[in-house]
Amino acid sequence: MILDLHAHSIKSDDGRAKVENYCQWIRKKELPIDGFVLTEHRQFDFESDYGPLAKEFDLRILKGSEVETDYGHVLVFGVSQPLVDAFDFASIRLPLHQVLEETERHGAIAVPCHPGRTRVGMCAHAEERGLVPGVRIVEVYNGGSRGSEDAAAHDLAEKNGYLGTGGSDAHIVSHIGRCATRFPGPVDDEATLVEALRSGGFEAVTWKSTS
Amino acid sequence: MEIDELKRDWLDQDFDEMEFEAKAEEIVDFATASGETAPRFVDPSHPDFQAPPTFVTRFHGRRLLPEEFPKLGLPLDAGKAVIQKRPIRAGSRLLGRSHLHDIYEKTGRSGRMVFLVSRMELYEDGQLASIVDSRMVIREKPTG
Amino acid sequence: MSGKAFSDIEFGEDLPAFKPDTSLANVTKFAKAVGMMTGRFTDHEAARKQGLPGAIVPGIMSQAMLAALVHRWAQNATIEKIDTIFRAPVLVDQEHAISGVVTDMDEDEHRIEIDLTLENAAGETRVLGTATVRLP
Repeated sequence: MILDLHAHSIKSDDGRAKVENYCQWIRKKELPIDGFVLTEHRQFDFESDYGPLAKEFDLRILKGSEVETDYGHVLVFGVSQPLVDAFDFASIRLPLHQVLEETERHGAIAVPCHPGRTRVGMCAHAEERGLVPGVRIVEVYNGGSRGSEDAAAHDLAEKNGYLGTGGSDAHIVSHIGRCATRFPGPVDDEATLVEALRSGGFEAVTWKSTS
Repeated sequence: MEIDELKRDWLDQDFDEMEFEAKAEEIVDFATASGETAPRFVDPSHPDFQAPPTFVTRFHGRRLLPEEFPKLGLPLDAGKAVIQKRPIRAGSRLLGRSHLHDIYEKTGRSGRMVFLVSRMELYEDGQLASIVDSRMVIREKPTG
Repeated sequence: MSGKAFSDIEFGEDLPAFKPDTSLANVTKFAKAVGMMTGRFTDHEAARKQGLPGAIVPGIMSQAMLAALVHRWAQNATIEKIDTIFRAPVLVDQEHAISGVVTDMDEDEHRIEIDLTLENAAGETRVLGTATVRLP
């Protein structure tokens, strides 16, 4: 099963895509992905029910979040109300160690994203201040990153034994599915996504035209 | 400076008002330089001659931000949105009124940033003709 | 290069891409028309002195070029809204391409949404946006 683990909808301040249009686009363009995870900036969207759309288009539409830490942006999968209560998702000053600890404590998982980008990614921060214990996975293919930034992410993962995911970081419809993550088995909901990420065995894939 | 404080003190208050005129020659130069080919934008003799929808972005008020707005740093142009309500014709005289429409913060490639959305509403004969949202980003000054 | 009707349009349809004229002469012409005759747009050397790699295309010109793509595709299209995000500088005298694709269709209102991107020769997105367009 292939899921794009990083996408934004109009629920994000800089997102311009409606979820229904992502679904239409995936089917119309016959993209080789089985679904995507909405990782809205600095929030978790408890309200939206994408069940009917998922059914109509036969796609997995899962929800996560993208939070902002002192080591750059971090995707959080397996978000629950207790986790949202544990730290302020809206803050742009979260300590990464706190995000890692709380996600672990609440059965979720944190994945630093686009680590190769300056400031919003963890590579430069890690070089400056050292690694933060607890990181196990980083995003190695990001649809919005330059080739050199993805390369830096790969280097970081390789050097430190991190697993790698892929996600488009789509903010507009036509950018969905540029990168994704291939799982060996089915991923049907947020809980099985966390389980699949914990058990490893997945790989990042990209369809970006440039490197 | 806290974002909530900025919002409370500065949002939704008109800080500038200015009159503009859409000139045919400027419309044609704007249109042709940006790659427009439709006669209604590039040919002043066309019966429906009008400015391209984003022409209104060329109208600048006296100031980008309210006069007393805190000096957080140099505002850079992060984006523009234009909503066109009615066509702007050559000779149109427009009244532009500006206010701060939104303030928010996030982190980006340049570090911690404050986003300011300055909205100019352009009126012709009392009717709203266009809205221009200018998204400015101010990179936080390093501390320590 | 002609008028289009809503019924002619298909979800996912690509608009014919075009290479915008980002030559120094053309950018200077634009800058003059909008009263932005400053070195960062019209003079490579002056722009370098400001720490830029060279003269850059004004953001509002990039936005206008994205709008032009829509009209080049459907001359009778009315752009009701165009929202543009300037992600990185567009350098003068360098080759770029503008493309667009239909990503939403409202049958009742005859409105469509178009994703718009301006990329450099390396395929990096420098400017992106969306347009809400009405067709007869």
